[in-house]
Amino acid sequence: MRLEPAAPGNVPAVPTARPGPASAVAEARRRREREQWQGRRRLERQLHDGAALRASALVLQLGLFRHRVPEAEHELRDAIGVLQDELHAVLQELRDVAGQIYPPLLDEAGLGPALRELAERLDAPLRVRDDGRRFGAAAEGAVYFALADALTADPVSARCVMVAGSEAELVVTVAGAEPGLKELLLDRARPLGGSVRDELCDEVCDVSAPPDEIDGTGTIVARIPCE
Amino acid sequence: MRVALAEDGALFREGLLMLLQAAGHEVVAVAAGGDELLAALASTPCDVAVLDIRMPPEPDGGLVTAERLREKWPNMGLLFLSHYAESHYLMKILDIGTDAIGYRLKEKVGSVEVLTDTLTRIADGEIVIEPVLAKRLVERPRGEKKDEVASLSERELDVLKLMAEGRSNGGIAGQLYVTPKAVEKHIASIFAKLGLHTDETESHRRVLAVLTYLRSQRDGD
Repeated sequence: MRLEPAAPGNVPAVPTARPGPASAVAEARRRREREQWQGRRRLERQLHDGAALRASALVLQLGLFRHRVPEAEHELRDAIGVLQDELHAVLQELRDVAGQIYPPLLDEAGLGPALRELAERLDAPLRVRDDGRRFGAAAEGAVYFALADALTADPVSARCVMVAGSEAELVVTVAGAEPGLKELLLDRARPLGGSVRDELCDEVCDVSAPPDEIDGTGTIVARIPCE
Repeated sequence: MRVALAEDGALFREGLLMLLQAAGHEVVAVAAGGDELLAALASTPCDVAVLDIRMPPEPDGGLVTAERLREKWPNMGLLFLSHYAESHYLMKILDIGTDAIGYRLKEKVGSVEVLTDTLTRIADGEIVIEPVLAKRLVERPRGEKKDEVASLSERELDVLKLMAEGRSNGGIAGQLYVTPKAVEKHIASIFAKLGLHTDETESHRRVLAVLTYLRSQRDGD
């Protein structure tokens, strides 16, 4: 299956509202929403640079301590090893929490790599296409978490994702999307001034997979302005 | 062994320095970032450079620094340490080099024995992959690879996991308490079932074939 980018002419751009009292309110709301995503990213970094690094350093200190214990003291050496394993478990839990706040790979490498890693972890047959372009913490976070929620509930709720867009706007095309995904994407995209619409599959992608694998009617396109 | 170290977290850097010294290694350079390490190593190369992935120059200074080190000293071993074990970074690391290179979780090199074993294998030219990540790759292969991996016997899966960790035949034999000859048989059978070529004689090339196989999508990712 191949998913091709929507040609600029094929998909009309979202109309932008003229500045006015209503749009000022909407803009303030978008700003708050963007700040919330940036706050999430800061929290993850804080966790990484603070608690996680401290716990990792503690594992090394215990290793040094264990090395200084005479070899004959098997019980003590083993006990230190158990403590190190416990700290590994603590760190795994911190990693899980960090992933739910803002996945570090999303921060460092962007939507494409983060979605691939997510699919791998959830064992979801999701195909991801991207060109490595970045769209900011808010737009990337919104799309990531909408897809993460959908795929966690049902690993086949999306089959193919294409990440594209420009400096001003993130455009994500999802083929083989279950109906619930559109709602999840809308919930995340709308507060950022984004939109999600259905697309006729043949307009946006060239699907070579058998029709029973990809339902052509389940193609949606999300557009989210970037900060 | 002559080791250099770059890590921006002071606590972890100090801890690793002390553990390296306790293990009897000569630490020739300690730095808080990639550029600083390159400057320190300008005239004195080392056997293995230990690099944090997420350090200055941001965002992933460890990778940039490794590329520069490899360019200048192609034989220098590289050990990447990270708080996360992600296949995204594994593939980036294997793009930098497929021999004398390793990727491990920070808290998993916390004993003198494991640290020295990891460094020695890298200095000997092997690929060393974090077992947690190798296990995940084998248990969660992509797409249609799943059926092929499911056709392996339990013993073959054990061998495949150890191959994905970068272990040589001798290393796999030691871990599973079997003869190297038996390991060779298992590997031949695994490669046949997965449709991979067995004519690769070098261990690290076979490791690479296995990792690429487990990670790739149908149309190449």
